Amino acid sequence: MASVRLENLRKEFGSVVAVKELTLHFPDKKFAAILGPSGCGKTTTMNMIAGLETPTRGFIYFDDRCMNDVPPGKRNVGFVFQNYAIFTHMTVAENIGFGLKIRGVDEATIRREVGKIAELLELTDMLPMNAGRLSVNDMQKVALGRSMIVKPRIFLLDEPFSNLDAAFRAYMRGELKRIQREIGQTMIYVTHDQVEAMSMADYIAVMDFGVLQQFGTPDEIYNQPVNLFVANFIGSPNMNFIPCYFHSQNGQGYLVQKHGNARILLDDRRRQLLERHPGNQDLIWGVRPEHLTLHAEPSQPEYLRATVRFLEPLGPKTVVHLELGDQDTIKVIAHPSYREKTGTVQWIEINPKYLHIFDAKTGLAIR
Amino acid sequence: MDRNVAIPAIVERRVQLVARLRRRRFWDMSDVRVFATSLTAPAQIVLLFIIMFPLLAEVYISLTSWTPTRGGDWTQAYRFWDWGRNYVEILRDLAFWQALGRTFLIAGVAVALEFLLGLGIAFLFLDEFPGKRVFYALMLVPMMIVPAVAGYVFWLFFQSNGPLNAIISLLIGQPFTLTWLANDVTAMIAVIVAEVWEWTPLMFLIMLSGLVGLPEDQMRAATMLGATSWQKFRYLVLPMLKPIIIIALVIRGMEAVKIFDMVYLMTQGGPAQATETISIYMYKIAFQQVRWSYAAAAAMTILVIMTILASYALRPLQTPQREVA
Repeated sequence: MASVRLENLRKEFGSVVAVKELTLHFPDKKFAAILGPSGCGKTTTMNMIAGLETPTRGFIYFDDRCMNDVPPGKRNVGFVFQNYAIFTHMTVAENIGFGLKIRGVDEATIRREVGKIAELLELTDMLPMNAGRLSVNDMQKVALGRSMIVKPRIFLLDEPFSNLDAAFRAYMRGELKRIQREIGQTMIYVTHDQVEAMSMADYIAVMDFGVLQQFGTPDEIYNQPVNLFVANFIGSPNMNFIPCYFHSQNGQGYLVQKHGNARILLDDRRRQLLERHPGNQDLIWGVRPEHLTLHAEPSQPEYLRATVRFLEPLGPKTVVHLELGDQDTIKVIAHPSYREKTGTVQWIEINPKYLHIFDAKTGLAIR
Repeated sequence: MDRNVAIPAIVERRVQLVARLRRRRFWDMSDVRVFATSLTAPAQIVLLFIIMFPLLAEVYISLTSWTPTRGGDWTQAYRFWDWGRNYVEILRDLAFWQALGRTFLIAGVAVALEFLLGLGIAFLFLDEFPGKRVFYALMLVPMMIVPAVAGYVFWLFFQSNGPLNAIISLLIGQPFTLTWLANDVTAMIAVIVAEVWEWTPLMFLIMLSGLVGLPEDQMRAATMLGATSWQKFRYLVLPMLKPIIIIALVIRGMEAVKIFDMVYLMTQGGPAQATETISIYMYKIAFQQVRWSYAAAAAMTILVIMTILASYALRPLQTPQREVA
């Protein structure tokens, strides 16, 4: 068990900078996810923690010990690869026991330990099978077991579920979380799937282009995104973004749509904040589709007028795509039975609590 | 009451099958197998003839005591039919078995060295180093040189006043004039060195292709578990390369047993019979002693031995993988 601390970690491949000055602290015994689109440097970060890549600059600490010069095999890190990297010429039992075998542990102990792990992962029946013939689902479990048996201080998982079928992925999400609680292990998990990160992790680090965007609990990431990238990346369907500018009139502050005339009345705190903001003529407001409500009548003056373009009925909910002003599209999550026709005028209610304002130039949230 | 319904389905099916078999003629083109066979038959017959004819002719000749000097061409060899006396003689022929033993010694040592060198060099070529492409091209040169030329070059190389002795003289600071090819042991060493030089590149190529194809993540997984380089080699690389290694060893082994040109040019099997391999032995029997039927019988004996050895060596490849329950 150990915490992981990264300090100004940087990795260059030739002229490409994969990770830029990354400073992060993964707390002990917690489940953390590194989330980002492909090519954002998350796997490189993982490989550096594991020791498979050498950082160009910066330091890696496990607890208070600097690990930069410790070879990967000595870091006591469990690593689960995206493609499982099962030893296909061995049986399941030999795979799981490999870590002990190369440490020179005697046969009887290996058999006992393998038995324990197999029980935890429900693999007992498959122990004598040839590992190359397992389904990907079971291979994933074997890969987990193979890392677990050496009792690593830190568990690193590189998109471990991306090749699994959907049902098993959901099941493994739950399983992994249960295992993590049971063995009280520090786990760091790389994924590009926000649902996976949100549902499993205690902490999420969102990365893009090798730069850490935000680090926080799933709640913080979802409710207080620090910039446009995080706001856009988290949530499905993604957040609505409407370009706007700040306008004050009679002591009231408004956000006025650039491509239309939708206005949002601001509370005093935000008005004062925006009055002082130098780039207040070039803003973007964002609201998640799930925080918008559709009404048939403009019963409140602050409702925004929009026309229905098309519907996406998803079963448990319906995503309504509407046109707001001249060229802006806005998505609203409505009741599954919502069936208004294209062209119908609807009135959108925005809960001000869930309104996010971003500077269009820097992309940063204004709070 | 309804007799048609009363016939059980299985009986009915059997009746139909019998009827179909009766109806079928030998040359039924509507049968896919017959049709396919008839289309490929000409090629199959030609191929069979090319492969089988020399073999059958050899078996035929080997069972006689015919040789061109006894008159008639080989088709009349039956006039000298002697029921396999050649084979009995071969079993008692010490020179034959000694030649065979020597051949296996040369092939065994040479192939083992080629394998170790090839694998080792292949490992070096997995990493990047300056001039890799040049070295890569140089590595392949020996294989492209005609064996006869290589044999001649090595014959020069091992002469008592040749470059090897000159180099040794320089190193030890006094004249060194060992006549390599005139000494039993050193002649053998010289032949093996030449053979290894010529064929290590092939081993290198096969091993490199095997190593390049190894799954990298499995190696990394083993690294993460704390495996040393040797453990990774022992538990991952070797088992995963096993099929390729076996095939490479069998191919090279079979080729090495046929070694002729190098030996013939360097020592002609000498001094005395010290480097007489089975090919040299057969050459002498057939073209110096002109005992064709005996040479044919010897060739057949070697074929049988080699077939047994090769099928034994290839057996690990045929074991099916363990079935999933």
